[in-house]
Formats: sequence, structure tokens, C-alpha cells
Amino acid sequence: MNTIFLGLKLKNPIIVSAGPWSRDGQSIKKAIEAGAGAVITESIVSDVIIDVRPRIAYNGTGAQNLRLYSDIQIEDWEREMKIAKSGGGIVIASVSGHTPSELAYLATKMEFFGADAIEINVSNPMGESLEILASDADQMYLIIKEVVNHVNIPVMVKLSQTASNISRVAKAAKKAGASGVSAINSVRCILGVDIETGELMLPTYGGYSGTPIRPLGLAAVATVSQTVDIPICGIGGIDNYINAIEYIMLGASAVQIGTTVMINGFERITEIVHDFETWEREKKIKSINEIKGKALLNLKSFDEMKVEPVVCYSNKEICVEGCNACIKGCMYQAISPGNGDVIIDKPLCTGCGVCLFVCPIKKLSLKW
Amino acid sequence: MNIRNIAEKAGVSVATVSRVLNHPEHVAPGTKAKIESIIAETEYIPNWFARGLNFNKTATIGLVIPNILNPENMEIIKGAEDVAHQKDYTSLLCNVENDVNKEKKYIDNLIKRRVDGILLISSLLSEKDIIAILDQGIPVVHVGEVLWNKSVSSVSIDSKEAAYNATRHLLETGATQIGILHGTTPAVENSRKIKGYEKALKEEKISLKKEYEIQVENTIEGGYLGARKFMDLPIPPKAIFATSDLLAFGVMDAMNDNNISIPKQVALIGFGNIRMSNLVEPKLTTVEKPLHKMGVVGARLLFDLIEDKSEQPEDVKNIQFQSKLKIRKSCGHKERIGEMF
Repeated sequence: MNTIFLGLKLKNPIIVSAGPWSRDGQSIKKAIEAGAGAVITESIVSDVIIDVRPRIAYNGTGAQNLRLYSDIQIEDWEREMKIAKSGGGIVIASVSGHTPSELAYLATKMEFFGADAIEINVSNPMGESLEILASDADQMYLIIKEVVNHVNIPVMVKLSQTASNISRVAKAAKKAGASGVSAINSVRCILGVDIETGELMLPTYGGYSGTPIRPLGLAAVATVSQTVDIPICGIGGIDNYINAIEYIMLGASAVQIGTTVMINGFERITEIVHDFETWEREKKIKSINEIKGKALLNLKSFDEMKVEPVVCYSNKEICVEGCNACIKGCMYQAISPGNGDVIIDKPLCTGCGVCLFVCPIKKLSLKW
Repeated sequence: MNIRNIAEKAGVSVATVSRVLNHPEHVAPGTKAKIESIIAETEYIPNWFARGLNFNKTATIGLVIPNILNPENMEIIKGAEDVAHQKDYTSLLCNVENDVNKEKKYIDNLIKRRVDGILLISSLLSEKDIIAILDQGIPVVHVGEVLWNKSVSSVSIDSKEAAYNATRHLLETGATQIGILHGTTPAVENSRKIKGYEKALKEEKISLKKEYEIQVENTIEGGYLGARKFMDLPIPPKAIFATSDLLAFGVMDAMNDNNISIPKQVALIGFGNIRMSNLVEPKLTTVEKPLHKMGVVGARLLFDLIEDKSEQPEDVKNIQFQSKLKIRKSCGHKERIGEMF
């Protein structure tokens, strides 16, 4: 399905994000061939630094990475961009730096080398300062404006969950002339500690990505979408087409995938694109706009929520023997064991909803 | 063996041999292979100077540095040389020893040798001198802060802001009697560092004391002498901001000789973050200047000018990099996390 994002015509809204999986021309080309609507280069910097080893840890759901930036000098990106684009496709250059002039210079170079758009990335949570640049709306305005003034291609700005008010930064991006924003970057993390040795899984702070950050990403995209009129690219924990649609329904025009490609290979790109397009065909959806923001209509403020006097009811399913999950999980002691069933004390039940999620056989529901 | 001999041997014109050397894509593959084999056989090396005259390019750039003994300059040079090497250029290194006449003479020589561009580091030249060079059509880029960056592309950091942050760090560790030990060179950066230092003190309503601002030669020895001067004051400063790591090393040496402990008795902060600052004891807290990056991007800007094929001269580009406080052990701070970010 064709998608217009940043004024670019993408064959689908699934974009491969900046990362080691898009580190050079060959890998970008491979991602395009796998079906990606566009590919973003690994973040390009003024001066490369040597990678630390190891730099990635994974606990089965989330990944911590210390990989910072592209290890290819910008001169050599001329060659890499030729390779990347040799089979056609859209390539967005991610650039990273600290000052307006530094970023503008990198962006003009990448425009010259054929990038279709720029993604400004000053929101990495590792290596930089405790307070990341992308949380400072005023600084961001200066940076984005300088980049926008120097290039003739669209500029997207990668936002961070760390900002205390992500809307302020998104507004600054719009005011400075950005064509879009992407949210969210990875989140500062420590993946875990070995309690026998006191060693960390990785020896320094890193960026957390993958499934566990998806709820953060969804909230960020919804927030920006409700406050700023700017195209959004949703990022964070997208593992399948459903997750991609969730982001779109919360206001994203396109999405980025990264960690899932790292863990499952480039086939995952093909899979997600295929499943996404199949779903759209089945639902007879012709344009993303038909579903974009659909869930925002159901996103209410606290005040708008009507308090219905719901309480828990159980159906006739027979409980898993010895389960007791709902009984343990009821903070209000409203559930007690019956014979292959549960007995719900309706006056004690406050309708909180926890039991619905802990029951393995979906026996419980809320009604009034 | 010269190009004429090669042409005779191959039975082709001199122009054809020249094309093989310079534009091989315009020569028929068979002829090209034949000439190349003769060149290989006779071990002919094209005359480099003649090539320079012919193409108006010598594939050399000049790197003009103020003082070869200051490791800051070597980091910058390393960055610039990395780019030049990749472009297949040779760099001519000129050490001007902080002497403006020597600098002028070297630049004159570089121009006579037809270098394709000049990278100046912390130059002593005036705007008039620079414009005279630019008027000869030689691309010039400057590394470091100068007063004439409207005329010349440059890469720099904001020394005033960096010095302000360094002084703030000393204030945050509790010091109020803070001295600045600054070098005679590089002049523009030093005067900006003093301004940053004074701004931080004024903000805290700490009155500036003349005796707390000492100027010395920007060397380890200068730092040693400056520290001695501070120690001889009736009320010596409790914290010292040295405007270069070399000066800070000199201060450490002097304190060591006088059994004064850093950071317990005197806090010390340097500027530059040269490699040795991480090796001295205590490890030096300093301002990280992205030296290698400044060299890399300085050279990049120079090659942008050299390779610019358009008729219009490129705009003057002034790229400013961020400097960063590198917190280590010489200031007695308490927060370990400050050392990590």
C-alpha cells in the first residue's frame, strides 16, 4: 500500500530504523529488497569511534545496546549510498551531533550523496550527557532550523521518551520547519545484574528497545498526535503487523522496526509487510488515512471516563485444577473457591479488572 | 625514463601516454594495457612537479600548527591527516613556534610550492594577512577560534562557554577562591576563556582578584611557575582553572614538589583532554575539546573548497562543536555519575 510520508512516496509504511542492521550500503539494499518502505541509515557522525565489545544484551523480550553510531566516515557514505540505492528505494540518512552547525554540515553532505530525507537523532540515551539534547525544546529548535535551512529534502526529528514534555519538543520541531517526527528512541536502561557476582549484563548504561518499550512508544505517539499537527513515525517494540497498526491507529503515518529485525533477521521485514498488506486487503482498506488515528477517538481523559458500576461475573468454564490465580490476584478478597468454579462476592468486588487478565481460561468478565 | 621514451616504445603519441596516466577511461583497452605494461616494465614514475604544473593540482595540503610540542595540536593534525590520506593527499607540516613571522614565511613557501589548500591551526595572522592569501585563490580553513571567521571557514568550540562550565564545576564543588592560570597562546581562545571564568564568578557575586589571574607561557613549565606564584600569595586560591592540560600538568608537578594534595587542598581543572590527562595521578578533570574531530572536519571543509567545481565560491562555513566537561578526580566532586556522562 502506497503511503505518503514526509512528502515521500513509500510503497508501504514499514520503515527500517537506524541501527547496525542498516550500517552500510549492502545492508540497506538488503532491507529494501526485503520489502521495507524506506530504510534509515545507522546514525552518521562527524568522527567515528570504535565499537565496544560486547555491546548488545537481550533478555528474551527487551534489548540493551551500547552501539553508538556508524563506523563509516561520511566521505565513504558517498559510496555506500550508491550501493544502498542501486536497486531503487527510499533511503533516509540519520545524522547525529551536538550543535546546529555540526548537524547541518552532516545533513548537507548526506543530501549531496542522495539521501531522500534526513532524520535528526540527538536522542540517544547512551554515551551522551545525563540530560539528553532532545529533551531541550529550545536547543532542538535551533538545531532543526539550521538543518532545515541547509537542505532541500524533508527533515524528520527523532524524539525521546526521556523528555519531560515530548509535545513541547514536537512543537519546536514543527515550528523549526521539520516535515515529521519519529518517536520514540530507545530508553536509558540497565538490563540486569548477576546477583552472584554483582556484574551488570553490560558494563554501562544503554538504550532499551524491543517489546517492553512499546507501551511507552504508543503513549508518546498518541500524545504528539493529539497536540501537534505533524506527521509521526511510530517506533518502539513493533514485532508484527498488529503492533504497526496499533501505532497507526494512535496517529502514526508510518512506523519503524529495528530490534525485531536484529533478533529475527531481514525475513521479519518481509513478514510484517506481507501480513500488514494482507490485513488491509481483507479489511478492504485503501488508504492508511482510513485507520490513522482511529483509536485516538477512544482515547479519553480521566474526566471523560464514565464510571459504570461493573463487577466481576464468571461463566460456566471449568477452572484449571488448583489454579486460584484470580483468588490470589483479588486485592479486595471478593473471590473464593467453589467446586471447579469460583464464587464472587459482588458487594466486595470493586470492578478493578485484574482477575480478567490473570485467569488462564478467560472465565471472568465485567458487567452490570 | 620519461613520458617521451614510453611513447616511443609503445609507438603512440605522448598525449596517449598522458591520457593513460590521467584519464585512462578515455583510452582503448588494448592500447591502455600495452602502455601500462611498458610503464610497469620500465618502472617509470611520472614527474610529480610536472603533474602539478599541468593540472594545477599538487595533491598536497599545508598544515600550519602553532607549536609541535603541544599534544593538542597533534590530535588535530592526526584528524586532518586521516582525511588527507584518504583523499590520497600528502600533508606538509609547518611548525611556526608561535611566531607570526615564521608563520607568514611558511605560508609563503606553501603557496610557492603550489599546495592545493592550507589548514591553519590557532593562527597568529591578521585578517589582512588572511585576505591576501585568499586573494591568491588558495583555499584556507582555520581550526580554533579567530576574530576573522567571517572571512574564512572554521571549526571551533565555544571556549568562553566551556571555561564558564569548567569554573561552574569548581564552584559546585564548594570552592570560592578560584584562580585562573592562562597561557599566552592561543590568544583569542585564552581571552575568551578568561571571559567565561569571570562570568561564572560574577554570577556568584565573587569579586574578581587581579592576583588570581596569572598569565604564563602555555607549557608544562609555565604551569609550574604559575602554580608557584599562586602558592606565594598571602591567600592562595583553593581551586585552579588551568586553560590547558599542559598548564595543569605543571600545576600538578609544583603541588607535588610542595606536598600539596590535589584535590584535598587544591582543586584543579584543565582544558583540552589530551590523552595524558587520563594517565596522571590524580586523573585530571578537564574540558574535553573534540580535537580529532576538529581536525577531521577542518580537513573536510578544506577539501570541500579544493574539490568545489562550481564557479561560485562556497559560503564561509563556521562549524562549532560542543565541548564537554570530563569529570575525573582532580576536583574532589562527589557524584560518580558525573564521570560517566
